[in-house]
Formats: sequence, C-alpha cells, structure tokens
Amino acid sequence: MAKRSDMDHSLLIVVVAILAWLIPGAGHIFIKERKRGIIIFAAVTLTFLAGIYIGSIGVIDPVNSRPWYFGQMLTSPLVAIIGSATKSGDYIVYARPHDYGQIYTAVAGGLNLLCILNAMYMAHSGRGQLIGEEEEEDV
Amino acid sequence: MYNMVTILASFTAPIHIGTNPTAMLWMFPLLASVAIVYKATRMRVIFPLRFAKEVIILFATMSILMILAGIGLYFLVTILTS
Repeated sequence: MAKRSDMDHSLLIVVVAILAWLIPGAGHIFIKERKRGIIIFAAVTLTFLAGIYIGSIGVIDPVNSRPWYFGQMLTSPLVAIIGSATKSGDYIVYARPHDYGQIYTAVAGGLNLLCILNAMYMAHSGRGQLIGEEEEEDV
Repeated sequence: MYNMVTILASFTAPIHIGTNPTAMLWMFPLLASVAIVYKATRMRVIFPLRFAKEVIILFATMSILMILAGIGLYFLVTILTS
C-alpha cells in the first residue's frame, strides 16, 4: 500500500513537471496554485512573445544557435514547432534585434525552468491552495 | 482575419533597434519579468498588494544595480581605452 502511495506521489511530481513545461504556469494551476500559475503564465509567455516580436521568429534557430535554442526550448516544447519552420534559414536576423530577441526568449526559458522546479517542489511538499487559505485567515 | 494575419506577420520581421544608449531601455521589461516570476515562486502566499509591493522593490533594486554596473563598466572601458 505504502509503495503504491510513493508511486502516486512520484507520478504526481512527473505530471506537474510535464504540465509546467508544456504550458508555463500549468503545473501550478494543476496543484491548485491558480494565482501563481496565472502570473507565471502571463510573465513567461509575454517575455517569450516580446523576444520573438523584437527579433522575429528567426531568433529561434536550431541550426546555427543551438545553445540558445536549448534555453528557448525550456519555455515549452511547442517552441520546436517554430524551430522546424526557421531551420530552413528563411528568417535570418542580425545585430541588436537578434541579440535582444535571443536574450528575451532564452531568459523566458530560464524563468520557466525555475517555475517547473518550484511546481515540482510544491507538489512534493504537498503545498497548495489549502495552505494559502489557512494563512490568509491568520493575517 | 486581416488583423490576425497582420499580428502574425509582425513576428516574422525584426523591429528596428538603434545603436544609441536608448537601446539599453530594453533591459527594463526583462527585469520586470524576472522580478514578477521570481516573486511568484518565492512568496509563500500570493496577496495581490503585498506581491505588487515586493515586485516593485525587487525591480527597483535590480534596475539600480544594473545602472550602477553599467556606469562602472563605462568608466572601466574609458580608463582602459584612453
């Protein structure tokens, strides 16, 4: 019985991690941390969109900028869809828009990695909306 | 439909960013984003007002430090290249 419970716990953490990577903030929403999830979704998604608005989708380059691409992929695996469209080299971008776009998109990925780890930790420690409500009553 | 196509098209061409000091202003939206996400993960419970206050304090702190780092590097480069 205990073994099954451990497995459920591990499965929950894995599901939370996958959800948090698929859609930024979804991992938190899944463990009933709705406010946190919505804030994370808005912040990470807007940062990523700002990056591709500044430098165009050409900043996601799986061929010539592989290390940056790994960082960008941390935002969501859906970034690979843009990567498959740009790897042909039709959206080449240079100079500052390129640099700024790459920095914005990769930082969005880095921030989402922080959120994935945070959601996993919260799932592991059993934190959720209930704890928040209890504390809200104390204040 | 036309608006949707226009919005999508704006993501296929880069915007113009000059090589003047105003280009550095692009760091502030990024700092705001970092402050928001960091505080969203660090705060035990999200109370809107307290959250906003802490984000503003962190954003201001990071902005001041980045500006000081920029000034310091500017003087370092000036000394090294003079």
